[in-house]
Amino acid sequence: MANASFYQSAGFDFSNDVRNQFLQDKGLPLPKATSTGTTIVGCLFKDGIVLGADTRATEGDIVADKNCEKIHYITDNIRCCGAGTAADTEFTTALISSNMELHALSTGRKPRVVTAMTMLKQMLFRYQGHIGAALVLGGVDSTGAHLFTIHPHGSTDKLPYVTMGSGSLAAMAVFESEWRPNMEKNDALRLVTAAISAGIFNDLGSGSNVDACVITATHTEMLRNFVKPNERAVKERNYKFRRGTTAWKMENIRSLVVDETVTLIAPPVGGDAMDTT
Amino acid sequence: MSIMEINGGSVIAMVGKECVAIACDLRLGNQALTIATNFEKIFPVTDRLYLGLPGLATDVATLRERFRFRVNMYTIKEEREITPETFARLVSSTLYEKRFGPYFVEPVIAGLSPVPSASGKPEKWEPFIAATDLIGCLNFAKDFVVAGTSSDKLFGVAEGLWEPDLEWEDLFETISQTLMNAVDRDAFSGWGGIVHIITPDKVITRTLKARMD
Amino acid sequence: MECSFALTGNGYVLVASDTTAARSIVKMKTDEDKTKVLGPHLVMTYSGEPGDTVQFAEFVERNLRLHQIRHHQALRPQSAASWIRRALADSLRSRSPYAVNLLVGGFDTSVAAIREETEAVGGEPKLYWIDYLGTMAEVPFAAHGYGSYFALSLLDRYHNPQASLDEGIATLRRCIDEVSKRLIVAPSNYKVRVVDKDGVREVEL
Repeated sequence: MANASFYQSAGFDFSNDVRNQFLQDKGLPLPKATSTGTTIVGCLFKDGIVLGADTRATEGDIVADKNCEKIHYITDNIRCCGAGTAADTEFTTALISSNMELHALSTGRKPRVVTAMTMLKQMLFRYQGHIGAALVLGGVDSTGAHLFTIHPHGSTDKLPYVTMGSGSLAAMAVFESEWRPNMEKNDALRLVTAAISAGIFNDLGSGSNVDACVITATHTEMLRNFVKPNERAVKERNYKFRRGTTAWKMENIRSLVVDETVTLIAPPVGGDAMDTT
Repeated sequence: MSIMEINGGSVIAMVGKECVAIACDLRLGNQALTIATNFEKIFPVTDRLYLGLPGLATDVATLRERFRFRVNMYTIKEEREITPETFARLVSSTLYEKRFGPYFVEPVIAGLSPVPSASGKPEKWEPFIAATDLIGCLNFAKDFVVAGTSSDKLFGVAEGLWEPDLEWEDLFETISQTLMNAVDRDAFSGWGGIVHIITPDKVITRTLKARMD
Repeated sequence: MECSFALTGNGYVLVASDTTAARSIVKMKTDEDKTKVLGPHLVMTYSGEPGDTVQFAEFVERNLRLHQIRHHQALRPQSAASWIRRALADSLRSRSPYAVNLLVGGFDTSVAAIREETEAVGGEPKLYWIDYLGTMAEVPFAAHGYGSYFALSLLDRYHNPQASLDEGIATLRRCIDEVSKRLIVAPSNYKVRVVDKDGVREVEL
């Protein structure tokens, strides 16, 4: 009767599916997962790639996290921005990151962006869009700088400047009007910041701060909270309660300090000979 | 009515100065009918680590058992206590494994994590809180995390009342008032509350005097 | 419609279940025992989908008996209830889940349960409310079915964990009377069992 589900094989487990279908058939809707409403972008510049992301995570109409990280590590020279179902982007990029490391170890070469892109699209295609990850993948390898978008169903685009997520239209408008080939690093960084800011201020699903990441052939620079245009003002008054405000009925204090008393046993009188009586 | 609202219940965790607090309500309902008013949703994992599991009560019980098993296995294999950071990853991957047939819970994790020191024995402890959604997306907050049927109310009250570096006595007042004021505006949560405050040398558990309606 | 009630008192647990077997709008019989004695100090009421109920109750009964034979020791009420809950939660994930609601009443006579305050009665009464989803709660009083809407509010008012058996029966009587008076589809007869330090026995109302 008790199923031996404690040691499980790798991959997804559908054992709750029958029950959940049963609950859904009773007319109970499935709860919402955290999603990143999100503006994520990337663009090419003279020496490489700049990636950008906002930092808001939403759960329906609630802001679940005001400062989350959406630029995920793939390898030292490749990063990936994620939009869509937050757990999916998190776990998909983590899995591909592991596989890229193993791949680099087994081939003995520096990992390439196309390799990560192929791994991601093949995985997402296999799951037919059920893994809701929309990604912007960028990096610099031996074949140059590459920038891709990967859609949840597994299709990909290779473009000089890309945007994704609910704020993609606002961000793309900025890119369309200002992006030029062979931009300088600082100009590209400024443009990415402007594109993300367009998402933050015009799209409800995006908000808080701008994260950026500059990847060149020699160096990767992660600029966490590069711009913070929405810092919370210091509260003018505090709302500390007077101690004893809350009435409680029962208290239990568990001490974690281990008390030790050492009892020394006196050595036998007259040397250390063993007592054999 | 969503699946999360069948049994009701809410959990909140907050960071203080060298301490954390985690609190929950005590209601177990069956839709609008209250079945029990002693249903704790927070469980100890290690001495200084607690796990809150609001959501569908059958999954609360099942996951509690699973986590207990997996933490015990970890402790035996690794010959050391699990840290809050590692435990958060364990929770996250346990839930994501069931991505396409999830458990209906939104776990909240609160604990103190040891800061490594030269002597090997931890002398300093750092507050740690985290929450995940039902498929294991982690949210490492620096201030507070909430979950359950009154999560939106808890967000609002906590946003107004929380401030950094509260001593444990003050943190108790802040988390208790946040919890009680939020669940009083939620039909599916309430009927008493319980607060755990974790400090480096003791864990204080208090049962609150709350509205019973 | 099906109703079951249970409450704890000073050194005992009372469980009651209606005895009606109905199919569609027809009352087939009124002396169906929907309680099951699971061990020397354990009793359970069951209700829900006809067919599933008896099947599951017997499954639980035989498995707990098997445990007792293997280990020369019956499970304590808490452990038995946990096992039953797990069986239901696992069944819910199978192709044909059991739709059964239970009240598990037990009397814990183990040394751990006998403290100063429980010494006089020889143990601790335990009551568990379990539904078909595998939800479990340890409670001082419980009810299943339409009767619960009436009984739970009455028990909130009149339940006393220190009540004697006679007082407990009087409170149970109140619940049954109220349900008979106000519920359109109230059942006519009940089977009542008590479990205390001496074991499980039937009680006439």
